[in-house]
Amino acid sequence: MHKWGMAVDLDKCTGCGACVTACHAENNIPTVGPEQAARGRAMHWLRVERYWEGDFPDVRLKFRPVMCQQCDAAPCEPVCPTYASHHTAEGLNAQIYNRCIGTRYCANACPYNVRFFDFFNPQWPKPLHLQLNPDVSVREVGVMEKCTFCVQRINAASIGAKGDKRELKDGEIQPACVQSCSARAMVFGDLNDPESEVSRLSRSPRGGKLLDDLGTLPKVTYLERQTQV
Amino acid sequence: MSAVYALYSSPDAAQRAVNGLYAAGIAQADVVVMSGEPFEAQPFAHRDSATWLWYIACLGGFVGLGFSTWLTRMTELAWPLQTGNMPIVAWWPNLIVIFELTMLGAILATVLTLFVTAKLPGRLPKLYDPEVTNGKILVGVENPAAATLPALERALMAGGAAELKRS
Amino acid sequence: MSEAYSRKLGDDLLRPLLETSWRFYLIVAVLGSIVLMGLGTWMYQMYMGFGMTGINNPIFWAFYITNFVFWIGISHAGTLISAILRLVNAGWRRPVTRCAEVITAFALMIGAMFPIIHLGRPWLFFWLVPYPSSRQIWPNFRSPLVWDFFAITTYLTGSVLFLVLPMIPDFALVRDRTTGLRRKIYGALALGWQGTPKQWHRLESAMSIMAIAIIPVAVSVHTIVSFDFSMAPVPMWHSTMFGPYFVAGAIFSGIAGLIIAMAALRKFLHLEEYLHPVHFQNLGKLLLMMSLLWGYFVFAERLTVWYGNESAEIAVLRVTQKGSFAPLYWTMVVVNFVIPVSILSIKRLRTIAGCVVASFGVLVGMWLERFLIVVPSLGHKYLPYSWGTYRPRPVELLITTSTFAAMCLLYTLFAKFVPIISIWELKVGEQEPHETAQERSARVLGEARP
Repeated sequence: MHKWGMAVDLDKCTGCGACVTACHAENNIPTVGPEQAARGRAMHWLRVERYWEGDFPDVRLKFRPVMCQQCDAAPCEPVCPTYASHHTAEGLNAQIYNRCIGTRYCANACPYNVRFFDFFNPQWPKPLHLQLNPDVSVREVGVMEKCTFCVQRINAASIGAKGDKRELKDGEIQPACVQSCSARAMVFGDLNDPESEVSRLSRSPRGGKLLDDLGTLPKVTYLERQTQV
Repeated sequence: MSAVYALYSSPDAAQRAVNGLYAAGIAQADVVVMSGEPFEAQPFAHRDSATWLWYIACLGGFVGLGFSTWLTRMTELAWPLQTGNMPIVAWWPNLIVIFELTMLGAILATVLTLFVTAKLPGRLPKLYDPEVTNGKILVGVENPAAATLPALERALMAGGAAELKRS
Repeated sequence: MSEAYSRKLGDDLLRPLLETSWRFYLIVAVLGSIVLMGLGTWMYQMYMGFGMTGINNPIFWAFYITNFVFWIGISHAGTLISAILRLVNAGWRRPVTRCAEVITAFALMIGAMFPIIHLGRPWLFFWLVPYPSSRQIWPNFRSPLVWDFFAITTYLTGSVLFLVLPMIPDFALVRDRTTGLRRKIYGALALGWQGTPKQWHRLESAMSIMAIAIIPVAVSVHTIVSFDFSMAPVPMWHSTMFGPYFVAGAIFSGIAGLIIAMAALRKFLHLEEYLHPVHFQNLGKLLLMMSLLWGYFVFAERLTVWYGNESAEIAVLRVTQKGSFAPLYWTMVVVNFVIPVSILSIKRLRTIAGCVVASFGVLVGMWLERFLIVVPSLGHKYLPYSWGTYRPRPVELLITTSTFAAMCLLYTLFAKFVPIISIWELKVGEQEPHETAQERSARVLGEARP
């Protein structure tokens, strides 16, 4: 049984935002427009956080791409009244759009703020509608959505491998963000395979998890230079 | 006629009338008493006070308990979905639903039993007088035997301050 | 208890049912139009999309959830007064019980609307009901929202029955005093009530059982509502104290609502002879006690947070006490604690007017308290990059206002069609004191006293 995870190397990340754009394109995420974005309703399943560290002249700039951590003890899952948010056997936090009634409890419970709500029906003015990915559903107003580790690519590769009667190779599945990262800072793979690159990176001494003291058991490892304070 | 009764302004007068009817040989179950408020202090108000209602309420609670335990466990196992590292049959959260449905069972059992034993909803019987809700107490006998009628009337009038009526 | 008094009770307490003034029609028209406007606003929100509200990322719950908790809190009035005072046989509760129970029933109905209003897809709210569906999927019993559904259903059923059962003998009274269509309707509502000793015994037994059952249900309901917050890992939500804190706050706001309702009834329906200043004094003392209890809970919670110095929680504490929410926070402290304690602890000020002033303050303060629990915490969770602010939008303000109008409207309509004071219970209260069986039989049978 696979257990999908990711590793992000913050020392390589340049903050270019290609991953964010690729995520939008792959997952049919609408742009909400400047007015709604100013009201805090932008829907970036993957966002790049920018931090300034240190005082002038020793200022460092650090970027951190944050997406759904697919927590093994996800606080968003037990609180959903309709099981729209639950855990799959392969370790992903599933979000079932047509089971969601929009209570938004999951978004409140998520400490990473990676869950997003469709405040309006998304619009794709022509000819942008031609760009939509047919493998991913378009969500309607009133449902929650979030990063799925590009589950459509995982499923497609798994079905293909099964058809070919072979195992999946490490690095065969690449979510859109991983595929488009110009610095190759993001790695995706099977944490249950101790030889995979993501497993190796998750054991790195440079590795740490976001908010891991909350007990959510996130599956994204962030690698960064450890400094002595 | 189908009934003879009288209306009394005070509970003591009504009690005297009831005693008189017993003395005239009428059984307790045949004496009809109606009032606009309950009178705990009077013996005539003590009849029919024994009730199984408390036990039935507890029984209703147990039914609720059993149903909710079954419901939560059955539904959680029917399509087991993993949520947040919690077990599939999560006892702590289930206890809350079990508690609520237990109480609901007790409440519904109480109300249903009340309706059944108090014969609500029901038709107003022939023996009724609107003055009852105005503060008067009605004491009477339904379908009296013609031979006992004078004795009954004497008993009812002996209560004092009464108007004798027939219906 | 004399027959004349019984007649007078009937006359006075049925007058609102039998006579209607132009003021009634005006009130109903004004309140009714506000309620209709609220309903229309909700339809508009559903049609245009939930984005019409001020909700954003990360503040996904705001006004509607505040209102939900607020109205469920108000509903605790009836239970405390009716059930607890009934169980301890406090006589002064008699004119007050139905006023209180009505508040509970209507506040619950209004409060229960808000979980539906705040849904992204409200037309699917019935998926919280466990029914065998063709999808073969059931609700998630681990979710506090599903617990809410069961708790509120149970409490609403129990409260409505607790309200309606003692209304039956009063409906019989109205039936016997009216003619025509009124008589038919009230006759049907009276369910053929006769008033035999058996019926009275069953009714009183049922009321006792309901009183005992409804108290733990009421405590559990607001505890479960508090679990909506305490089950989530949000700073200053994840507190073990939320259960008792919310129940105390609910009883607090409920008593305040009750005092206001009773004062209004006393004035508009001329019930000065039945709702005496001593009733308000007693409720005022309860309100004082609840204000002190509320202050205790707030102090205990905030001291723990401040002392514990956990950075995420301190951020929320700071923003409420010193930051952007400080004006609301300190207003809440003044109207919930400073003013009520000042007014209600001085006997000379504990008049009907004083109690009403304190109660209005408490209603404002308790609404602010719910708001200050929900919004600042959501706006300041664990990742500062995602902190946010909230501003209510017109749809939320309109719907909130319309629920207050709905409560007043439902209450006005109820007082018009049902005697607002339980007539038969008042009569029981006026009965002669209990004598021993020996004294009674001696008196009745005319024998010399032993």
